[in-house]
Amino acid sequence: MLLHILNRSPATSEVYRQALAAMGPEDRLLLIEDGVQGAMSTLVGHFAEVTGRLYALRDDLEARGLIAHCDTTVAVTDMAGFVTLTEDADRTLSWF
Amino acid sequence: MSNEQGDLLVILRHGPHGTSWLREGLDAALVAAAFGRRVTLLFMGEGVTALLPGQGSGPLGQKGTAPTLEMLEMYDIETLLVEAEALARYGLDAGSLMLPVASVGQGRIAELTASHPLVLTF
Amino acid sequence: MRYGILLMGAPYSSQASHSALRFAKAVVARGHALEGVFFYHDGVQNAARLAAPPQDEPHLVDAWAELAAEHGVPLQVCIAAALRRGLLDEREAARHGKQGHSVEAPFELTGLGQLVDLGLRCDRLITFAP
Repeated sequence: MLLHILNRSPATSEVYRQALAAMGPEDRLLLIEDGVQGAMSTLVGHFAEVTGRLYALRDDLEARGLIAHCDTTVAVTDMAGFVTLTEDADRTLSWF
Repeated sequence: MSNEQGDLLVILRHGPHGTSWLREGLDAALVAAAFGRRVTLLFMGEGVTALLPGQGSGPLGQKGTAPTLEMLEMYDIETLLVEAEALARYGLDAGSLMLPVASVGQGRIAELTASHPLVLTF
Repeated sequence: MRYGILLMGAPYSSQASHSALRFAKAVVARGHALEGVFFYHDGVQNAARLAAPPQDEPHLVDAWAELAAEHGVPLQVCIAAALRRGLLDEREAARHGKQGHSVEAPFELTGLGQLVDLGLRCDRLITFAP
């Protein structure tokens, strides 16, 4: 199982499609930086195929005033949780 | 053609000239190969345009990356893969590119990222 | 576990440096060994010793140096990417006949081979990019 890290918003960039194309059936996706826009209820549909395996970084949601807009299907994690996600995965890949 | 036993998968997602991502990604691949690592290259998205024949140097003599790509064989980098969806998007045919490549679909890309001990995205 | 970080974003241009630094601190706080941070692409700008950000902004160059001092983390800068972008240590400045230098310890100019080595040696390599 790999952890994929995405820092681009699906509203402005198609990089998320590359991340999804490279994901295996158990892989997880963590949204960081501008990528956390993808956790918004209006945009989370782009990640429908990885529901239940989608995470977003709390610091980046809060800094952008997006925490209240975060969809309930997204697991919100802090920096320590970010490290834990990398521990649980065999490897990580970054998409930017 | 593809080698699941490779040490390093380098994913190139940018075209030549516009940014240095392609050149610096290729540099990483060449150095790894020079140190005896088995390298697989995967051209994704815009990266497939790196393989167009007939590229020239850029403004002010910017070298571009085509000459580097032509040296890959000397470095024993022979596993060159291209994303099938990107080829279709740009209307390119795998057989018309400057180097022999194998086209890979979505499921295969996930297998490649899972099977290489180190994956670098550029 | 042994961790490595690859940073490819310039400070004060993208969030990549901030993310990498926060992650580095979190990794160390969890008790892992951070075996190195490799600076490549525009990430080499993190090594600019002359960076002088306003006082109310985080000083990223100093923050990396503190990380190295406190936890012995090697800060490795790709020499080819650095020289192109005007980042030279004393030795390279002398070699190229330049007045002054823009990189100093604990940042060290090194080859790309170190990135491959770091990636294959560590249990995890995390990339932060713009």
